[in-house]
Amino acid sequence: MTLETLETLETMMDAMFSQLVMLGGSGMLLTGLIVLWRKHVPAYISAYRWQAWLLAAVTATVGYFGGDWRLYVVAGVLVALKGIAIPALLRAMQLRFGKQPQITPYVNTETSLLVAGLLVLFAYVLARPWVAVTDLPTREGLPLAMALLFVSLFIIVSRRKAITQVIGFLMLENAIALLAAVGTYGVPLLVEVGVFLDALMGFLVMQIFAYQIHDTFDTIDVEQLTRLRH
Amino acid sequence: MDVIGVALWVMVAGYMGGAGLALMAPSPRAVRVITGIGAVVGSAAGLAAALTVLATHRPFEVVLPNLAATTGGVAIRLDLLGALFLALVAAVSLPAAIYGIAYTAAYDGRRSLRAFGLMFNGFLLGMSLVPSAGNVFTFLLAWELMAVTSYFLVLTESEHSDTREAGLWYAAMTHFGFVLLVPMFLMMAPGADATTFADLRAGAAGLSPAARNGVFLLAVVAFGSKAGLVPLHVWLPRAHPAAPSHVSALMSGAMIKLGIYGLMRVTIDLLGTGPEWWGGVVLVAGSLTALVGVLYALAENDLKRLLAYSSVENIGVIALGIGAGLVLQSYGLHSLALVGFGAALLHSVNHACFKGLLFLATGNVVHRAHTRNMEHMGGLIKGMPQTAAFFLIGSAAAAALPPLNGFASEWMVFQALLSGAQIPRPEIAIGTPLAVGVLALTSGLAAACFVKAFGISFLALPRSDAAARAREVHWSTRAMMAVLALGCVVLGLEAPRALGHMYRILDSLSPFPGAAPPSPATSGTGVWLLSPNGIARASPLLIACLLTLVVMVVAIAIRARGLAVRPADTWGCGRIRQTPRMEYTSSAFAEPLRRIFSELYRPTEDLSVIVHPESPYFVRSITYTSQVVPWLERALYDPVIRGVRTLATYVRRLQAGSVHVYLLYIAGALAVAFVSAWWAE
Repeated sequence: MTLETLETLETMMDAMFSQLVMLGGSGMLLTGLIVLWRKHVPAYISAYRWQAWLLAAVTATVGYFGGDWRLYVVAGVLVALKGIAIPALLRAMQLRFGKQPQITPYVNTETSLLVAGLLVLFAYVLARPWVAVTDLPTREGLPLAMALLFVSLFIIVSRRKAITQVIGFLMLENAIALLAAVGTYGVPLLVEVGVFLDALMGFLVMQIFAYQIHDTFDTIDVEQLTRLRH
Repeated sequence: MDVIGVALWVMVAGYMGGAGLALMAPSPRAVRVITGIGAVVGSAAGLAAALTVLATHRPFEVVLPNLAATTGGVAIRLDLLGALFLALVAAVSLPAAIYGIAYTAAYDGRRSLRAFGLMFNGFLLGMSLVPSAGNVFTFLLAWELMAVTSYFLVLTESEHSDTREAGLWYAAMTHFGFVLLVPMFLMMAPGADATTFADLRAGAAGLSPAARNGVFLLAVVAFGSKAGLVPLHVWLPRAHPAAPSHVSALMSGAMIKLGIYGLMRVTIDLLGTGPEWWGGVVLVAGSLTALVGVLYALAENDLKRLLAYSSVENIGVIALGIGAGLVLQSYGLHSLALVGFGAALLHSVNHACFKGLLFLATGNVVHRAHTRNMEHMGGLIKGMPQTAAFFLIGSAAAAALPPLNGFASEWMVFQALLSGAQIPRPEIAIGTPLAVGVLALTSGLAAACFVKAFGISFLALPRSDAAARAREVHWSTRAMMAVLALGCVVLGLEAPRALGHMYRILDSLSPFPGAAPPSPATSGTGVWLLSPNGIARASPLLIACLLTLVVMVVAIAIRARGLAVRPADTWGCGRIRQTPRMEYTSSAFAEPLRRIFSELYRPTEDLSVIVHPESPYFVRSITYTSQVVPWLERALYDPVIRGVRTLATYVRRLQAGSVHVYLLYIAGALAVAFVSAWWAE
């Protein structure tokens, strides 16, 4: 093979890498939007599961093209923890709460989607200087990760069910993991392990809170907490 | 590493060990003993270090640059001025710590003694490090350690709402001072990484006059809030009574002196000579503090509050000395200025000694009488003769009676003020005699105040069952009072020599470089305390000899004439039986002064007479309540408190109680952070 073919191959590889990351990032953002649009908790849980698998896929892709074996480990843990364990726990939580009466969110579906669109735009605006200064093949994923971060925050703020807020938090955590994967090709393994534990702990604490709210107020409408203020 | 360094390490290790091991000790008794041992080791080592520096006249310096490196590291610099205050702190904490071992037995099982031990040793460590600090970071760290731990010590009996209120006042005032300390130091620092006191001294020399004035005023207010200058004294009469008595002794004896230390360090050492109005400010603040302190002390029925107000008064006396020194210094009269500053230093030491003693004695009294209200005491001298004797010595010293120690330093403050006459300026010619008048009035009222404190509490018939049953407390507490009482006597008799030491300490500071060292006449050798012009002289030692002689002659004369002591009832105006209700009460004692100074006290009076339904001439009961209204305090602080409350209601609106609103704050903050980062591109 000549040098030129090698270079062409490298460019092609880069292009494919970039495309794959874009695909994964967009998929994750899409799963985030599903939460704003669907109305039932099982749909949220499966959206989250999809998102976690996609995150694992992006991480593995970055690991493959970036040549860092440790990212495979991370991807494996991601699948085990976020792709399997947490969705199962969420399912258990949902079963325990049983069928909940419909709780309308603060912002209705149409407006939510509109706001989410604006947030994505905002993310692109914010990320523009950042994308301009890097020449990573993964740079197109940066605004997507930021967009997912804002959308997840919006989910937490605008939804009233405790379980939806937990899912919003978990998605926020995924967004940060995506940002780390595409922005810096992952963080050191030790940090990654720490983040996993943090996320797990955060999830467990929130789970306990959700149970407590449910037991105390017989609903998982977080708005009831306002009554705690004297 | 020489002997001073070793002693300082032992001091830190002692306090830290006391604090740490107290947390782990198994039984309440073990906690008390370990707390005490840690504090005793720490303060004994601190005392040794300070006395070595004072004896060798060689400052000690050590820098630990790796400890908190970003802030310039921890720097210890123990010069003579610092060593004096370290010695003062250690000399009060040593007896207070031993006293505390027995005294805190009252808290066994009721309070967390472990937390108390931690805070107590932390408090002593903070107080010892403040005068040892060599840079701004170390100073502020120690200052804050002292403030926070003492806050918790004040809250020891937090089940009383008064105590909690006192804690709030104390925390607010001490942080108010801290907030002003930081800009004061920053203004002097020539650069962010040059924060040792030597750097500050160099930086202060290059400041504009306006900035120097700013630094000075910040120092007066910031350190004044710790020392208790009126009107920043409000926390003192609240916090000192609330704390356990040996902590009160430490706060009143040592901690407020560190405010004086800070003021002297900044104004005399770091800033050097200033315009004459600096002295004027301190003189006015001192006069006001002395007078207001003693007048409120007189009207007080709560023994510990009385002592706290008396501390305010003494801080005023110290401030008068500093003020006189500053005025004299601004006119270049360095050797006269030394007298003012020296008197202030000596009075700081003396006050630490006798106020420590008085608080320890009061602790025993309160422990037995179960009240701090003097109206329920009386006759304690019969059950607690030794405590009464020690209290009497402390009272006499506080009333500035020769030959005890309070006399010598107050006399020297008088002399410093009188030297103001040498300055040919009308405002000073008018001002200093006024200050002398205030000091004279204060001394007289202080004497009356302590006659009341001793007389009402210890003499006559007991006014309550608890007072009647009062017995002496554990011997160790009495031994510690004896140590401080001995200190009062020795410092009184040896006042000329002590004053000489003060002059030498001041002489080592930068603004007196080769300033004509105090002439032999004022250096205070021998038995005479001399006024700077050499006209007036006093000798506590000779007064003591004279007094002893008079007592002996009288005793011999009585014996010679064969007059025996005959115990009998007091003459009761012909009544058959005497009851405590016929006694002079604390309120009654202060009543004449209450009338004279009614404008200051503005007492509320409430007299309700319940008469027999059949005839108004038969009275069943009379209830008289009268309270002093602290209108000065209210006029100054009520608007501030109202303002803060109003502001707080606005701020509380942020706290809507809805989780979503809080989450929105987080999201908003994140968005703002992103946008600002984007903006900065």
